[in-house]
Amino acid sequence: MSLPEFFSTQRQIAESPLNRKIFLHGEPGSGKTTAGLARLVFLLESGIPAEQILILLPQRTLAQPYYDYLAQNPLPPGGLPTIVTLGGLSQRTIQLFWPAISAEAGFAQPHQPPLFLTLETAQYYMAKVVEPFLDQGYFEQLVIDRNRLYSQLLDNLNKAALVGFAHTTLGERLKQAWNGQSQHLIVFDQAQECIKAFREYCLANNLLDFSLQIELFIHHLWRSFLVRNYLQTQYRHLIYDNIEEDAPAAHDVIGEWLPIFDSAVLIFDLHGGHRIFLGADPQSAALLANFCDEVVEFPPSLICPPPIRQFQSALVKSVQRQLTIEELTPQIKTAFTHLPARFYPEMVDRVCKTIDELVHQKQVAPCEIAVLAPFMSDSLRFSLMNRLEEYQIPARSHRPSRSLYDEPAVRTLITLAKLAHPHWEMPPTREEIRSMLVHCIADLDLVRADLLMQMGFAAKKQSFPLRPFEEIGAGGRERITYSAGLRYSRLREWLLNYIERGEEEELDVFFAFLFGEVLSQPGYGFHDHLDDASVTARLIESIQKFRQVIEPVRSQQPGFSVGFEYLKMVQQGVISALYLTPVEEENAVLISPAYSFIINNRPVRFQFWLDCGNFGWWERLFQPLTHPYVLSRNWQPGRLWTDVEEYETNQQSLIRIIRGLTYRCSEHVFLCTSRINERGAEERGALLLAFQGLLRRLHQQEAAHE
Amino acid sequence: MNNRHQPRPHQTQILNYSGGWMGVSAVPGSGKTYTLSLLAAQIITSGKINEEQEVLIVTLVNSAVDNFATRIGSFVEQFGLMRDMNYRVRTLHGLAHDIVRERPDLAGLSDRFSIADERDSDEIVKAAVSGWVRSHPEFILEWTNPNLNPQRNSDLQKKWEDLLVKVARAFIRQAKDLQLSPQQIRDQLSSTHYNHSLIQLGLDVYESYQRGLMLRSLIDFDDLIRLALNVLNTDSDYLRRLRYRFPYILEDEAQDSSRLQEEILRRLAGEDGNWVRVGDPNQAIYETFTTASPEYLRNFLKLQSVQAYDLPDSGRSTASIIRLANELIRWTIQDHPVEALRNALTPPYVRPTPPGDPQPNPPDEPNEIFLVMKKFSPEGEIKAVVDSLKRWLPQHPHQTVAVLVPRNERGGKVVTALKGAGIPVIELLQSSQTTRQTAAVLEKILKSLNKAADNRLLVDVFKEVIRLLFPENAPDNGVVQQATQLLWANSEPENYLYPRAENNWLDELHRRDDLFDQTTAILKDFALLMRRWQQAILLPIDQLILTIAQDLFREPTQLALAHSLALLLGRTAQRHPEWQLPQFTEELGLIARNERRILGFSDEEPGFDPDEHPGKVVVATIHKAKGLEWDRVYLMSVNNYDFPSAQGFDRYYSEKYFVRNQLNLEAEALSRLKALANRELTSLYLEEGIATQQARLEYCAERLRLFYVGITRARRSLIITWNTGKDTQGSENSPALPFVHLQKFWEEYRRETSA
Repeated sequence: MSLPEFFSTQRQIAESPLNRKIFLHGEPGSGKTTAGLARLVFLLESGIPAEQILILLPQRTLAQPYYDYLAQNPLPPGGLPTIVTLGGLSQRTIQLFWPAISAEAGFAQPHQPPLFLTLETAQYYMAKVVEPFLDQGYFEQLVIDRNRLYSQLLDNLNKAALVGFAHTTLGERLKQAWNGQSQHLIVFDQAQECIKAFREYCLANNLLDFSLQIELFIHHLWRSFLVRNYLQTQYRHLIYDNIEEDAPAAHDVIGEWLPIFDSAVLIFDLHGGHRIFLGADPQSAALLANFCDEVVEFPPSLICPPPIRQFQSALVKSVQRQLTIEELTPQIKTAFTHLPARFYPEMVDRVCKTIDELVHQKQVAPCEIAVLAPFMSDSLRFSLMNRLEEYQIPARSHRPSRSLYDEPAVRTLITLAKLAHPHWEMPPTREEIRSMLVHCIADLDLVRADLLMQMGFAAKKQSFPLRPFEEIGAGGRERITYSAGLRYSRLREWLLNYIERGEEEELDVFFAFLFGEVLSQPGYGFHDHLDDASVTARLIESIQKFRQVIEPVRSQQPGFSVGFEYLKMVQQGVISALYLTPVEEENAVLISPAYSFIINNRPVRFQFWLDCGNFGWWERLFQPLTHPYVLSRNWQPGRLWTDVEEYETNQQSLIRIIRGLTYRCSEHVFLCTSRINERGAEERGALLLAFQGLLRRLHQQEAAHE
Repeated sequence: MNNRHQPRPHQTQILNYSGGWMGVSAVPGSGKTYTLSLLAAQIITSGKINEEQEVLIVTLVNSAVDNFATRIGSFVEQFGLMRDMNYRVRTLHGLAHDIVRERPDLAGLSDRFSIADERDSDEIVKAAVSGWVRSHPEFILEWTNPNLNPQRNSDLQKKWEDLLVKVARAFIRQAKDLQLSPQQIRDQLSSTHYNHSLIQLGLDVYESYQRGLMLRSLIDFDDLIRLALNVLNTDSDYLRRLRYRFPYILEDEAQDSSRLQEEILRRLAGEDGNWVRVGDPNQAIYETFTTASPEYLRNFLKLQSVQAYDLPDSGRSTASIIRLANELIRWTIQDHPVEALRNALTPPYVRPTPPGDPQPNPPDEPNEIFLVMKKFSPEGEIKAVVDSLKRWLPQHPHQTVAVLVPRNERGGKVVTALKGAGIPVIELLQSSQTTRQTAAVLEKILKSLNKAADNRLLVDVFKEVIRLLFPENAPDNGVVQQATQLLWANSEPENYLYPRAENNWLDELHRRDDLFDQTTAILKDFALLMRRWQQAILLPIDQLILTIAQDLFREPTQLALAHSLALLLGRTAQRHPEWQLPQFTEELGLIARNERRILGFSDEEPGFDPDEHPGKVVVATIHKAKGLEWDRVYLMSVNNYDFPSAQGFDRYYSEKYFVRNQLNLEAEALSRLKALANRELTSLYLEEGIATQQARLEYCAERLRLFYVGITRARRSLIITWNTGKDTQGSENSPALPFVHLQKFWEEYRRETSA
């Protein structure tokens, strides 16, 4: 097998008896997941049928090491281990046992199949349910955009399910903790009413959003002898990784299930709990140790060298205002470099120049570098990617969660869909077509695309707005270039053929054909842009899921077109590009929000922390309709959430981020500061102040030595 | 840089401050910014505050923020400390934004709340007013002047709507200042059984306006202040944290403090805290129709617990100018014909600096005072000033000069006339130059991105980029001229920006030996930028603007403005998903042409220093000129319309001829709103017109102070003129009463001294 050499504790875990349950905890990067993998190998090599092995994770992306291993090491014939999250397990089980529980769970059409909602489709239905309430003046005193309103309502439902309290108590819980103006309290009642209406709508239409899936599993399936027996017979061995990032509901199930498993390895990261916004609860995870035969502590991180570790400790103490000069070692200065800049763009330039030096002078592989910021705006991402491209350094990026319509590839596809469906009467504008052409046709720059539009845009009365390339004068064709003209003509012909066929395809099918037959071909913009291909795949998947759950409910309505409805939703931003993960490129600099980097758990040698003054490093996201801490199991209902709690959780969150990042850094951290932020203002957040505190003491120490 | 000098004795008193509440009355030019900055630096460097604490300096306008920050930074640096740490300079809006932004949840906001711009709020208020007028046709009938000849007033409908928009805006602002929500006003109305059509108009529009803001996820600037105070009153732990963070609060321009500002700072400082308020009650010029009042400072100065001091010594002006300013104070207090206006100006009188002072007054030049009583038409007055400047400028190339006007509109006309005469002008009028220039640069770039094949537009962008990124290359520099001509002559920009092997324009230039080396280098850099921006057009509009801005701008104000513009366009894009580059370009054009204002934290000239512009004429409103000084000042339009004195023959800007009894509707509405808020039933039922009269007095008092501010901007030379106005209502303006008095006083004084 291709696993690295194990150290003794890893081997001890892997080879522990087949009836032993182990709770394994240690720092990030200490080799715990490798131990989990080794355990998987040992189980398989011991003749345990793969289908008896359950690998449970809090989030799909964290399963990657297990998938990678299975992809590289073919298993003996038979089944596969099940790699799943609690949500996935719930969905599978609901599908299997739907007829047995649908009526008792209150679904109005128990004999019809369930419709599983994605985040997008749940948001779509939430919008439908909430709209009449908004018309009545609900949430009038809240300053919040609609999509965030819907997502926070859904978030509340999910929290209730994952933490394990009735969704009907949400409003009351939030009200009890509210310390602000009393006029605000009414919005919690309104939220409660909308949540209730949404749940009723789901039950009436067999719609299962995430919260309902979890609740069905916990309150009906897991309580059923039949189901429990099925699951407990099916799975005999458990590997449960990153348990600190999972929610109490999952911990409860596993707590009850553990005595039945033959063997189990539970892996707990110290200093974790980064997914607190998604219900993660390290405290309830830690309780699972009580159900295990043995608790094993791993030795310190294999990744994080002593200077980085000292830097981590000093910075954390500085955040806590407890740092003294005596604690500083000379080594600490080798762990970090300060890259100060006066302006934001100057900071971006310095970062890119330093990366260039690392890559081209010190031969550091680009994949060993991560550029991290609390938020990654399109503009920041573009500036970084563009500058790195100028240095000929490959880069990849985590997309922020945002409207799908903001993706250039999506806009291009939508423009093409509008062109191909003239009967929708949504003709694209000249500028939309021009952008589409720049994006679609390789080597067609904006200037030539502009010429093409000047000369090739048909008069208004024409049914199709693109004239044949041949009709453009010879001088113009020369300037646009014949190679671009040829590609333009092929795209044009494809669209015309589609229109002439007169049969409207489903939108996802249309995009799949268009992508396969034209856009992905050599000479077209999507050909070697993996990001665009991934966005297209995401769009197609999103339309398919949308269609699957919208058709049964709404297609009976006269004149309803799923494709058209979908486009409208995308344009209004109701459908978002949540969880777009970066395209796996072997050797590219990663540009990512710090939080996503930690969650994805891929250590690097060099980290750049951008804009240390940004408050985003410290502050939580403020969501007026939900609250990650109040809606957690550790919150005592009835308590007030005051500024003391706010301050303390922000401090803890910054400390968690500092630890999360430094544990995933094997060589050097570059702290990048800008006196003036992106908005032209001074910003001195807690990370900057802590860093200043550290620098100040280092100076004092040096001065004392001189 | 060592810009510290030995403080004057009065300044030393203030610098000896060790804690508690202190109030300072400072005359114009007494060095209050210097003293406050030095005090802040002293607190920082003396170890009175911890590493994580900050001295908070609150000032009135953004232009002062930069000024303070630069001074404090340089003082602190002289002590060997990092210049940016341990202090924070904010306007009240900036401070309120900081307070709310840190805990938006307490204000019921999400963390992505945005602040409404003029475009947003205009759209909402105008729509609400026109809807309201349509559904209440009786309102205009009730309030229109019955003697009006409809034939001669065909644009009456528009005039009414404009006026009502103004009334509604003032109503909303006042209601927010009084911390009243629409529902609370409604409750007050029903509990008092009061009904009045002006209140009804204000309330209905206020309600629609708030709904409109909510729908757009916006709050406005007045909300920001109101919410900040709410937040401080709501969470005592947060307040405690802020008190710890800001152990010292220094407030500048305290004479323009509003009730809410005072309340916010009082909460932040705490009864036992450290709070220094500095201001000049004689320079309070922001009071009309707000709750701002010099009374807050005056009352503060009288408190037992307050250490009160004066800063009376001023080295700014010549003895003659000081004499005029002091006479204006004396005449107001003792001889103003309207008794109620006699407290509009108060001591301390301005004192020249004592002998040996490091900032001595300029040598006296009584011949440089011109109080021109000649009767000018509006055009004649402008012509006279332009002619005077034409003579004066060539003889004084190293001196600074400003033309100060009471209104933006008048300033615009002066600017046009000066430009027509070929005189270099700098404008400090409605929106700042920076705003317009920033919007104009971005507009040009968007235009070029929209028509990427147009080489003329490319040349326009080139010129802007050179100006901003390579300021050392003046436009008349040979390299820049050569590069511009080459770009202009190249009609196929694709061969420049995206050359093919066979058609590489830059390569061809490299082969020519008649060009400067730098020319091709500069063109190569520009191509790189243009390509980057052209690729960025696929980004959403706000991100496109940010991307360009980050490449182009270096000044914080420009970056901040570009950020505001990006947010504004981003919001517009959400409301109009169909909009493309041409529409966004047009929107920027409106701002660039001053047809639309962008409200922001930075919509003022940042740290404008008149001394950097000798030989050019600065045209400013007197309001914008506050805090600034010039060698020569022209004070225009000092007539009884712009500076009335509550005399029978005076006319008032806010009293419209088409309104019944020429009532000041804004004043009538606001006085009723205030009475309602305070449950003063007697005031609520006062007869019509009393509020109009009261507003006249307030306006006259403020205009007296504005006149005082105008006079005290001059260092060596002062020219005051007036004009007769347009004569639309059958009467001519006359010179303002205080001006007439000063002219007589000056004549007598000159006669006496020459005798």
